Amino acid sequence: MKMTKIYEGAHQWIMFGRDENKPDNIIDSNQYIVRTANKCLLLEPGGTELFAPMMAAVLHHAPVEQITDLFASHQDPDVISSLGLWDQALSNAKLHAPALWEGYIRHFGCESIQYVPIPDNGETIKIESVELQIIPAHYLHSPCGFHVYDPQAKILMCGSVGSAFEAPGAPVFVERFDVHVEKMRYYHQRMMPSNQAKRAWVDRVRNLDIDILAPQHGRMFKGDDVKRFLDWFDSLQVGTGI
Amino acid sequence: MNSQTKSQFIAVASITSELSAVMVVAKEISLAAANAKAIAFRAGDKAKGFQPITDFINELAKETIELVTNINVYALLLYRLTVNEYRRTAAYNRFEQVAKLAVGARYADSMQEPISTARTIMQDCQRQFKRDVTQLLGQLEAVMHHARAARVIAANSRIEASQAGEYLQSLQAVAESVDKAAHTIHDNVQRCRIALSIYRNS
Repeated sequence: MKMTKIYEGAHQWIMFGRDENKPDNIIDSNQYIVRTANKCLLLEPGGTELFAPMMAAVLHHAPVEQITDLFASHQDPDVISSLGLWDQALSNAKLHAPALWEGYIRHFGCESIQYVPIPDNGETIKIESVELQIIPAHYLHSPCGFHVYDPQAKILMCGSVGSAFEAPGAPVFVERFDVHVEKMRYYHQRMMPSNQAKRAWVDRVRNLDIDILAPQHGRMFKGDDVKRFLDWFDSLQVGTGI
Repeated sequence: MNSQTKSQFIAVASITSELSAVMVVAKEISLAAANAKAIAFRAGDKAKGFQPITDFINELAKETIELVTNINVYALLLYRLTVNEYRRTAAYNRFEQVAKLAVGARYADSMQEPISTARTIMQDCQRQFKRDVTQLLGQLEAVMHHARAARVIAANSRIEASQAGEYLQSLQAVAESVDKAAHTIHDNVQRCRIALSIYRNS
């Protein structure tokens, strides 16, 4: 599992992905942690197949007992089907996930972890002194989804938005936006159902100060590529699967 | 899922399937008893010996139905335990995998506690499963006992039927149906016992 530190300040952001031992027939996904002095928030914990390499990778940065919070942007198995295993490994943890999906996500196994439902209009979660804004991203692509914005690190973990599917070992940041666009186009057109929802999200996100856009699949965007992505996505017609 | 877990799931699932057939047959016995009682009533003195037998058949059918109902509840608990054991074992195996992958990681040692807890819970589940299987086998033995008793009653019924004059054929048919039902119950329950016996407490 490749680990890339993407922010280092009073707290850290680390991106995990490109697991070389992943079975070929499951899609690659990015996981992130926000590490504070005594706590660790795991964003998009991933699927069951990914649990062991992911947990082993996290152990380079935090002991098990300090993994206190999990976040799932939506209900898909590549996001959170490992929950039943985290549930048995962590003795004192919370899962922040959409209220709408609680009864669904619990199918993955959630007995000891406390499910903290996120209301439709989002909220703020606090990991020690770090305040993270939970931004609504409904219909992008899930009918109920959320992204995580860290105003201090200027990182937006944007779930499915910005996702692309890459060859194993691909770089973690976009290098040539014009080339990368073609890796994203079909996914966004096919998976995102609503132009209205897309526009509302773009308008909201344009007001945030963002250095890094961190999607759940594929490469992250930094610097000028953040604005390039927002402009491209804004002009893209989505919901083409009808 | 390994082959032992698969066969454990199949064994537990097969109990419910076999017992639902037993339940149908036990209800048939109960119906046969009611039928026999009506015939014996009509036959009067000619089937005097048959009348207490019909009550006995009915009682036996009722007890069998009650036993099977209880066993079905128990089998459901056993199924849940199997699912739980499967989940716990899967988690333990994944945790062991984590420990191997995390060699050299700064906080690798912190995984030892979850591994140890998972191992204990997994072993508890395995022990509980064996205990419950042993208990279930005891309950199945009680059903077998009823089936054997039903066969003895069927044999007595034939003897009594032979003295019932023109009611001989009707009462012999009742005896045959009880005997056949007892055979079916015996065979189905025996299959449950064979499927489960490898998991019992030694």
